[in-house]
Amino acid sequence: MNEYIPQADKEFILKELKRYETPISALIPSLFCIQKRHGWVPAEAVKELSLLSDLPESRINEVLNFYTMFNKKPVGQLHVQVCCNVSCAMNGGRELAKHICETYKVGFEQVSPCGTVTVSPVECLGACDKAPMMQVGQAYYEDLTNESALEVLEKLAFEKAKVSAHV
Amino acid sequence: MFKCTINGHEVEVPEGASVIEAFKLLKEDIAHYCWHPGLSIAGVCRLCMVQIDDGPRLHIACNTLVKDGMKITNQTEVVKEAVRWGMDFHLINHPLDCPICDQAGECGLQEQYMKYGQYDSSMAEKKVKKRKVVDLGERVVLDSERCILCSRCVRFTDEVTKTNELGIFNRGDHSEIGTFEDQPLDNKYSLNTVDICPVGALTSKDFRFQQRVWYLKDTDSICTGCSTGCSIKVYHNKEGLFRVKPVFNEKVNGHWMCDEGRDLYKHVNAPVRLKQILKSVGNEWFPLGLERALDHLNEAFSKAENISVLITAQHTVEEYKALKNWAQQLQDKTINFVYWKNNPESFDSFDGLLIRGDKNPNTKGLLEAGFEFADASVLDSSDLVLAPMPENPAVYPKYMEKLEQLSKLQTQLCLLSVSNITQHETINFADGTLAIPMKTAFEKAGHFINHQGLTQKIHKGRVIVKAALGLDELLQAIKIGKWIQPQLLKSRKTNESSKVSGELW
Repeated sequence: MNEYIPQADKEFILKELKRYETPISALIPSLFCIQKRHGWVPAEAVKELSLLSDLPESRINEVLNFYTMFNKKPVGQLHVQVCCNVSCAMNGGRELAKHICETYKVGFEQVSPCGTVTVSPVECLGACDKAPMMQVGQAYYEDLTNESALEVLEKLAFEKAKVSAHV
Repeated sequence: MFKCTINGHEVEVPEGASVIEAFKLLKEDIAHYCWHPGLSIAGVCRLCMVQIDDGPRLHIACNTLVKDGMKITNQTEVVKEAVRWGMDFHLINHPLDCPICDQAGECGLQEQYMKYGQYDSSMAEKKVKKRKVVDLGERVVLDSERCILCSRCVRFTDEVTKTNELGIFNRGDHSEIGTFEDQPLDNKYSLNTVDICPVGALTSKDFRFQQRVWYLKDTDSICTGCSTGCSIKVYHNKEGLFRVKPVFNEKVNGHWMCDEGRDLYKHVNAPVRLKQILKSVGNEWFPLGLERALDHLNEAFSKAENISVLITAQHTVEEYKALKNWAQQLQDKTINFVYWKNNPESFDSFDGLLIRGDKNPNTKGLLEAGFEFADASVLDSSDLVLAPMPENPAVYPKYMEKLEQLSKLQTQLCLLSVSNITQHETINFADGTLAIPMKTAFEKAGHFINHQGLTQKIHKGRVIVKAALGLDELLQAIKIGKWIQPQLLKSRKTNESSKVSGELW
């Protein structure tokens, strides 16, 4: 039954729901929990969350669509967010984002054919002194060049592959 | 009660009333898109700006409560300037496609635009493209570009129907209304969202591109769809009836009505109607003049010993009275009245908002008319059955079966029908059966008594079938042997919608 929200996540969400006065307050942690599990927030998970939290699906979708940090589409194993705001753009952030796309033969916000990478151009991530920079998952990679960025991604992809091979 | 002054006019309002309600009380002009008297306050359109007591800041009238002695105005230059710019913001991404928009003529935005619009846009940026012609289920179409995000429809599904289908998704100038996963908006009150939409974002599939609203006249009436008896306006022109909209009635329906009720005009329009008196001879129908028909009827009535009237609760109080009088004058005959209920299983059901299982507008009226009802079994032994049929036989599932059964018994019927019953395929009517075109509730004046016992008036609107008779008119004609056209009532002043322009509900 709970295909998209497994038992562990369900327990977390129920705990969050109890923490706040209204269920709508627990939405953001719940949605992040789902995103952590799947990499994005599938519509089916929203339906399950709606049953769990007794909130209408449309209310959940309003919150989900308001924030850009929730992925509404599937992303690759590495979600590469390249800063394209002023400082990074002046130091080649936009070109860097394009270069990664070209290397992995993928457009913005798409999953690369190999399934590893999704590149998103984003606004300022607050590391202007180390421009250009990118965020992969939760980690920041700063002072990048086209080459060093690709190196980082290759390394991360290799690690991911190693982990999944172990599993 | 608080006293306040609005644009120089003094008015008394109850405590807790908002400034906009005071404006409405005085019928003073005030622009507003998001405020609706039947919904909660959102305060998002920022157009109902007022100045209070020469204060430096402007207030929104919908979310400010009246205090005693307040001096409120929306006629100063400061307010006008604010409203002008407020509307400019609404128009940044609005396509201004009034010539092809269904709402044109009754659009709040259009009215403001005529007053304050700049005509030459000062926006250099391109308008944000959004979704057009989004199918929101069976009855509603959404045009996201026209939407000004007043959130009335969202609040309607949240607060009134409590179905929560609609939401505002995305943010900034990409915000648009929609349903989760584009699921259909399939609640039974969905067309109210079209009514309350102040612009042409939500339009009715049924009325879309059918008529320009300024070519329509309207008549006040009562919905005949069920015993709730919602107050409605019927919109029509010489081509027929086009739509039905609810009218605010505090005691009955509030601001709303159900989708089913809005379909009722369909069985009134010409294509489905019986247009002349027809007589059945040997399974074929022959047209008959009224005089001949009356001769035939009088003969049939004088011959018949055992007459039954198969009556439903779809006629007016006046018609029941006429029926009662008519029966009293024929004292030498046995006249049985049979009260035919629609779907007895769900007759007493109620959905909690407006829809009732009793699909008749005048059940109380029929019960109070003082008939003594006989059991339906007397129909089988009758020589002649007078059957003023329900306007919409679809809500009477077993009525046609009964007529078929009676026809098999070779019972002569005198049918008073709105729909073209002669097209019915399976019934072979007995020789001498008459089918007389009947007036619908939109074509006659009278009174209905709803489930609460409230007597409500229906007004005569456009006559679609000239030969149609009301039940009372038919009985009168039978009595005196001919039909005298009553002097045509001076047509009421219609098209009141133009008078209340500025009102957005």
